[in-house]
Amino acid sequence: MNRYRIDSADMPFAQEFLAAPIGYHSPGLQRVLNRMRGSAVGGIAEQPWKYVLVVEERHSRWRLGRLPLHRGAPVELVEGVVYTDLLAAERDIFCRRWKDLTGEDLDPARPD
Amino acid sequence: MLPIVAYTDKLSVAAGDTLSVMASSFGARHYRADLRRIIQGDTNPQGPGYKDEMIALDLGAERVAVAKGFYPGSCVIIPGKGMLSDLRAVTLAAAMRPTLLDGRERTVIALPGFLRIGIDTEARVFAEAFGIRLTTTASAIRGSWHIVSLSCSQDGRLTLAVTCDSDSASEDARPEIVTAQTAPLPCHADEIIIAATRGNDARPTGFFDGKIDRPALFAAEISHDVLRRLLADFSQLSRMRDLRAAWDFSQRMTTQVICDISPFRLDGCIHNAPSRAMTGWQWKGQELDWKRRPDLYSAIHFHSTDVYDTGWEVDFSFTVPDHLKSGVYAVRLVPDGDEEAAYYCVFALRPPRDRATGNKVAFLFPTCSYLAYANHRLGMDVPGTEIGMGRVVEMDSHHMFLQENPGIGLSVYEVHDDESGVFHSSRLRPIVDLQPKVKSFLGGQGSNIWQFNADTHILGWLDDIGQDYDVITDEDLHEEGLRLLSRYSVVITGTHPEYHSRPMIEALQGFTDRGGRLMYLGGNGFYWVVSFNDDMPGIMECRRSEAGIRPWEPGHGQFFHAFTGEYGGLWRRNGRPPNHLCGVGMTSQGFDISEPYVLSPEAADPRAAFIFKGVGPGTRIGDFGLAGGGAAGLEVDRADLSQGTPVHALVLASSIRHTDIYLMAPEDLLDPTPEWSGTQADIIRADLTFFETAGGGAVFSTGSIAWAGSMAWNGYDNEISAITANVLNRFCDPRPFPFPAGPSGAEPDSLTQAIGTKGRAIP
Repeated sequence: MNRYRIDSADMPFAQEFLAAPIGYHSPGLQRVLNRMRGSAVGGIAEQPWKYVLVVEERHSRWRLGRLPLHRGAPVELVEGVVYTDLLAAERDIFCRRWKDLTGEDLDPARPD
Repeated sequence: MLPIVAYTDKLSVAAGDTLSVMASSFGARHYRADLRRIIQGDTNPQGPGYKDEMIALDLGAERVAVAKGFYPGSCVIIPGKGMLSDLRAVTLAAAMRPTLLDGRERTVIALPGFLRIGIDTEARVFAEAFGIRLTTTASAIRGSWHIVSLSCSQDGRLTLAVTCDSDSASEDARPEIVTAQTAPLPCHADEIIIAATRGNDARPTGFFDGKIDRPALFAAEISHDVLRRLLADFSQLSRMRDLRAAWDFSQRMTTQVICDISPFRLDGCIHNAPSRAMTGWQWKGQELDWKRRPDLYSAIHFHSTDVYDTGWEVDFSFTVPDHLKSGVYAVRLVPDGDEEAAYYCVFALRPPRDRATGNKVAFLFPTCSYLAYANHRLGMDVPGTEIGMGRVVEMDSHHMFLQENPGIGLSVYEVHDDESGVFHSSRLRPIVDLQPKVKSFLGGQGSNIWQFNADTHILGWLDDIGQDYDVITDEDLHEEGLRLLSRYSVVITGTHPEYHSRPMIEALQGFTDRGGRLMYLGGNGFYWVVSFNDDMPGIMECRRSEAGIRPWEPGHGQFFHAFTGEYGGLWRRNGRPPNHLCGVGMTSQGFDISEPYVLSPEAADPRAAFIFKGVGPGTRIGDFGLAGGGAAGLEVDRADLSQGTPVHALVLASSIRHTDIYLMAPEDLLDPTPEWSGTQADIIRADLTFFETAGGGAVFSTGSIAWAGSMAWNGYDNEISAITANVLNRFCDPRPFPFPAGPSGAEPDSLTQAIGTKGRAIP
């Protein structure tokens, strides 16, 4: 398990991510992403899950899904969440995980 | 989800061969089939476009899609051959080491309907006989060896006894004994099943996860203490008059056969390929190679997730027409008229076995690597995969199918449910990621495709430039070696030819040594040792010992393959480093973005002039592509003299930075410190490498999986495509490549100079 706890001090890294979700990241942002991506963020301890993108049309349309870490358990689609742009999907999932891990809404427009 | 999935009985056929198709419905009611030649499978709108070719061949009318299902789980099945019916007093015993206790009832050994020893839903050992069930109070301990026995006297006294060995205590283990009185019944069982029992549907069921060693059956009541002594000495046991059967799993370990050491010879057979040559009850580290002390490797590790042959009934067979040219083809199954849901059974049409086609170029279809990744679940089972991707995991329809159908069988990237590594992968089952169009986890930003579908960038390029070529598979190369390769001037690899058997490696090395030309258009190639089994066609073994980027280790003392006795792990540790064959070897991986190469001064060497003919004057090449946006990326290799790169090799260009997702491979990361990442460590790079061989041959290596994604950029019209075509054209030219001065004629300081300028070995 990753022991790093994301808090408000990581806000600059959140802004960095929202500006450029894929590619070169500062060490601070990479640490935030390692925490978000390296283990399940959602669910309870017995039924953890991770956000995934479920391909509806390759290269053009994705649904937000919750992937249970237990083999054989079906992926749950999040109702009403559809992406047509991968970077928009990255930003949205980042904000959802921020909320899950800090309890705070992430306002991409707020200065650090 | 996939309404229909299927597989063929072979991945490589020649014209005139018969190919059988086995399909199962997962919702489809009907389907029709046709045959396609696969040309380019990537559906990325930024790519050259999906392309296949309909083959005019009638594969029959619409068929009913029948649901057939998956039945994973391994065991041993031993026919009783009439030798069980006279059992009155009887004892059944085995050593067992459970590795998964998860609330499922499991069977250790059974004479179905007569006697059975197992583990119940609360992890307690139980025994069944004559309608009575005995259960211990203590739970079995995961990872510990237990001796379990069930005996029945002539007058119906039942005794279940269990001892648990403790590695931390020297005292004799005290058995827990449970007894009951019953009226004995005659034995109607005519088989013994180890690690499972027979279900109501006549299939094996109740699979055991863990090791079993020395199972034995006696026609007498035998006390538990005596049993422990007997089981510890199989050579004495075989002379015991009350012995009815005892199975020594250390005999004929490279086969499916299970040998009975009793004079009755109640031999059996494994089902669904459990792991053999595994450390047994008596192994305490005395020997690490099962070939030297097979008696210590008398355990089999069974898994409820093992799969060898899915065993579906054949839907239809057809003869591959004589007029078809060698290439990559697929039987396409269209369910209920829905072409978007079509399933592709991909196979290679190889050249005839008895004669050459005249084509001088062969594409080596990397079936070993496809098998290694077959149905892999990296983005699903391993949360950290998303870190390596640097992006959220995309789940394509075949991933959704895999998530709901783990019974299809795992890849060698997974662990079994008991967290032990998956050693085997079989082609006798549907391989849902061996299809065109499918997306993946590891293909980088852009097309995000992997292995077969990524390799179609090369197939599409060959089609685009009008190059005639044959397709040969890894299995063909394994079987026919240099006899097959000697038909060709040029061998082109796929994007990620990572897994090779020794006959394959030796044939390729022999090919370049004798003047053959190798175009290694990939990254992390020639990395892992794999082996095949003469007794089990279609299955491959891989034991990831000691080093390498790997999801598991084989377990202490279990580094030698069961199929061949070879030491498992990296070719680099087995005397065949990839640098010998192709000049470069695996150095790092990251699955987010790729980079261009920067030309080195050696690109201007006259020896390399043919490579860059017509390519513009810039210093960077490949600053574009479908696999991460650059030609250098995903998995990258470096030239390294210390690992066997020829001294005279030219490193023409290198990537000069990668994101910090790219980290050192563990075999080089001897002392982990924080600077071994893509923005800091010079050693993390792809080296574009060329060298001549003493026999007039030559090798061109990209050291990057992403290279082919750049070949396919802009409709194959770009400098990476042009460079690759230059190399192919010269490599097809039969004029021998002159071997440059050295290494024997090299100046004394040339090695130092080479390390300083191009080898850049690890400090």
